[in-house]
Amino acid sequence: MRRWTARVIAALLLVGQPEPALAYLKFGVTIGGRQITLKWADSPVRYAVSTQGATDVSVADFQAAVGRAFTTWQAVSSSTVTYQFGGFTAALPGRDDGLSTLGFERRPELDRVLAATSFLVDRTTGALVESDIFFNTAFPWSVAQGGVAERFDLESVALHEIGHMSGLGHSALGETEAREGGGRRVLAAEAVMFPIAFAPGSLAARTLKADDIAGITDLYPEAESTSTAGSISGRVTKDGQPLFGAHVVAFNVASGASIGSFTLGSDGRFSVGSLSPGIYVLRVEPLDDAEIDSFFDTSRTVDLDFRVTFSDRAVVVPRAGDSGEIGVQVARK
Amino acid sequence: MRRIAAVALATLVVCSMNAGVAHAQPATHPGRVEVSFGSLWIGHQVLGTADANETTPTGGQLEIFTTSSELTTVFGLELRAAIRVLPSLEVEFEGSYGHPELRVAISGDSEGAAAVTAVDTVQQFTIGGGAVWYLPRIAPRLVPFVTGGIGQLRQMHQDRISLETGLYYQVGGGVKYFLFSRPSGFFNAFGVRADVRALVRTKGVAFDDGGHASPAAGVSAFVRF
Repeated sequence: MRRWTARVIAALLLVGQPEPALAYLKFGVTIGGRQITLKWADSPVRYAVSTQGATDVSVADFQAAVGRAFTTWQAVSSSTVTYQFGGFTAALPGRDDGLSTLGFERRPELDRVLAATSFLVDRTTGALVESDIFFNTAFPWSVAQGGVAERFDLESVALHEIGHMSGLGHSALGETEAREGGGRRVLAAEAVMFPIAFAPGSLAARTLKADDIAGITDLYPEAESTSTAGSISGRVTKDGQPLFGAHVVAFNVASGASIGSFTLGSDGRFSVGSLSPGIYVLRVEPLDDAEIDSFFDTSRTVDLDFRVTFSDRAVVVPRAGDSGEIGVQVARK
Repeated sequence: MRRIAAVALATLVVCSMNAGVAHAQPATHPGRVEVSFGSLWIGHQVLGTADANETTPTGGQLEIFTTSSELTTVFGLELRAAIRVLPSLEVEFEGSYGHPELRVAISGDSEGAAAVTAVDTVQQFTIGGGAVWYLPRIAPRLVPFVTGGIGQLRQMHQDRISLETGLYYQVGGGVKYFLFSRPSGFFNAFGVRADVRALVRTKGVAFDDGGHASPAAGVSAFVRF
């Protein structure tokens, strides 16, 4: 079996310096010219916890914290994916041993990477063989229920990484501001899969948001969600030309849920899936709250020169159907 | 909307032109059938407000923008058929059609996006039944009544993309002005009906299952056989 690994540094960057990644809403690999969504073919997804490398967290506490994070994802009723703790291992994450391993590693050179997820993919079939998560001991960690000031909450970070492990890319549902000396500070986020972590001590990212739930449901839909969830599709243009890389947010005016997507094609098209039937408004914004390569391959040029714009159409998502083409025209800043 | 109003007005004008002497209203015998057709007005329905928030590191909320939704005032058409079951009581069947707009006003964007009202056009159909209780007349041609009814609500979104169903209830009262009437014969009377109602709509395009009250009024021409 020919294999290759794609280490995706896509998680929780204090300041975005990620490596290139195919990270849209979902991860994908191209095999034989075909784009294959990266997801687990079978459940439960078994994982092991490494006994190596931990410094300020005991192995038992580490296993308990990541176990809570797995349970949070598994509790999404509209998704079928499940996880199973397969025991402890002396192996470190990132080894091609067929075992999905979570563990600590000291990586001081990655001075802005709290944790990262890597994948081992069967290059012939595109099947996901293994996914490992490492937590960088160059940062201080906490597993305390109430959190600890100046330490990153391991459960929150694990929740984000397990999202990647399950096949989710980054969400852009967050607001940031530039910090002196570089990097960004998160003002707010409405997705665990936002690429930049909350400040140390925060526990606000222990709970999945509507955007995360829509993503995991899109990957592993439970039968009932398939028969009820709808979608919005359309096209974003600027000066009559298609716009690539715009962040499109569907906001449910009844529930208050926000779910994001992007214009991904060269034709400016977007699609937001796994939506509850109802009335939505669409907000289109430039992708300016995180580094572009947290979301897209750096070879793509993303246009940021446009104003935040709402669709003038109240968009109806039907039960198990699509809204029909929604066009949004944006203007230069 | 203007076309519907014009149709109703034309109906009334035709009725007026043919107005003859109206006899003092005799008691209407059970079994008489009345058909009416006219215009309907329903006040707006507040659907609700919702803020687009994001979670701050401390677990608070940062407001990104806010929305306020309503189903707008609607002018429509209304058709009724009634049968007199007691000297003062009619049972009626009714249907109506109108096309209000579902409007979502978006404002207060944290990044300065222009305020927008997002719109979806809705086709609204109702079909139901009710009762009309006639009160003692207040003038030779003028008979007041009270009415109440219940029925099914169907609201179709723009491009027929989704159909929402619900119920409606209404109570109200009004008057019938007889332009012509006679005590006997197949063709018994015709005139104009005007009423006001409190209309409660449930479900449909509403965001919850509760009732949402709106004022409603109708003017129609009626013919009694």
